[in-house]
Amino acid sequence: MHEFLSKALEDKSIVWFKASNSYIILEEIAAQLVHQILENKTPQKIASVLAEKLTISEQEATHIVKDLNDRLVIPNTIKNSEKPSIKREYEIPSSVTFKKHYLINRKIFKVEFANEFQLSLLHPKFAHLETQETSKIEHTFQVFNSNHLIHLVLDGEFIGAWESKNVHYFQGKFSMKIIECIYNKNEAEWMGVFHASAINFKDENILILGDSGNGKSTSLALLQAQGFQCIADDFVPIDQAQNVYSFPAGISIKKKAVSVLLKEYPTLETSAEYHYERLNKTVRYLPPQQIDYHKKAPCKALVFIKYDATIDFEISKMSKLKAFEHLVPDSWISSSPKNAASFLEWFEKMPCYQLTYSNNELMYTAIKRIFEDEL
Amino acid sequence: MKSKNPQKDNVSDEFTISRKEALKKIGKYGKYTALTAIGTFIILHPKKAQANSPSGLIAPGADGFFD
Repeated sequence: MHEFLSKALEDKSIVWFKASNSYIILEEIAAQLVHQILENKTPQKIASVLAEKLTISEQEATHIVKDLNDRLVIPNTIKNSEKPSIKREYEIPSSVTFKKHYLINRKIFKVEFANEFQLSLLHPKFAHLETQETSKIEHTFQVFNSNHLIHLVLDGEFIGAWESKNVHYFQGKFSMKIIECIYNKNEAEWMGVFHASAINFKDENILILGDSGNGKSTSLALLQAQGFQCIADDFVPIDQAQNVYSFPAGISIKKKAVSVLLKEYPTLETSAEYHYERLNKTVRYLPPQQIDYHKKAPCKALVFIKYDATIDFEISKMSKLKAFEHLVPDSWISSSPKNAASFLEWFEKMPCYQLTYSNNELMYTAIKRIFEDEL
Repeated sequence: MKSKNPQKDNVSDEFTISRKEALKKIGKYGKYTALTAIGTFIILHPKKAQANSPSGLIAPGADGFFD
């Protein structure tokens, strides 16, 4: 029996397949047909019932059932053949060029880098957590190149190796390992990691989402200056119990946003600036204030934000289907049935908003009203 | 007398249908629209692993850094 889940969302259904870890949005009647196919009912029987229901010919109904089976059920129930795993043969360089120590949730992490390119991938966003205390190192990461791949080893155990095209996955895995270590939860205990910013107010969180360049991080910094607590920027972990956890990396502030934030954060003026020429990006990192590693709180709403100089302020409830279409491809969602079920249940109850603004005051007010159930 | 609908003059009786027939036809197309909808779906794939937004001196895909 193939493992799948299904859930109604607005006027459609969502079906999740374990084998492909895919979420499929389809008509409710199509979802019913998929169920019947997966329950191993014969195509003839399914088609016969469908023909009667829709007052169409059995031939037409058979075609529909076959088409759904061929294009949807079969491709999503055949386990993708695993790509050949990257060889674990590697040579750790004998010399370490850079050593950094970070204090995160009372644990000291040592990270060894073989060159400055590797350093640039991880250090800038954790620089504010650097510590000179090196006596009780709890975990050691080693980052090095071998066989044209960047490697990550944690406490002597091979974690992974990535080609240059997947360097953002190397960075993501490092972040994930930090999360696993500081909260003592392995990967299977996390529902997902979301490409968002998270703010907290009175023990509840709002996730701020949107495409790159829409102003997620700037909005987060602005809200933090208004007394909301920064929980995470760019990497928002949520566990099986649907609680959002803090991730302590610096808030990435793009050059064009620095002037907007100088009034609230005067130290940004002299903060280290990183020129990522190949990414055409210049950023400074703003350390989050009052990171509370004990705080885990539920999510109250998803807000898809966009800073637009031509629009003073607009907010509206967003179609959940539209929000789902944006959220899923931009997130890591655990592929275990338990976590996928948790994700669907979590998303179903999550109000989604679209907020476009250039008027900061109105944005603060709207976010506060969402937190206080006044919107 | 000038026709109120000059175009109508160019339409032969062969192709004119009554309102009742038109509704029946629309209904039929409505059924086909519904049947098409059954076969229309969107497949969404979550990321295969955790990822950060790109940052650092290496852009995803740039060659030569991992040699």
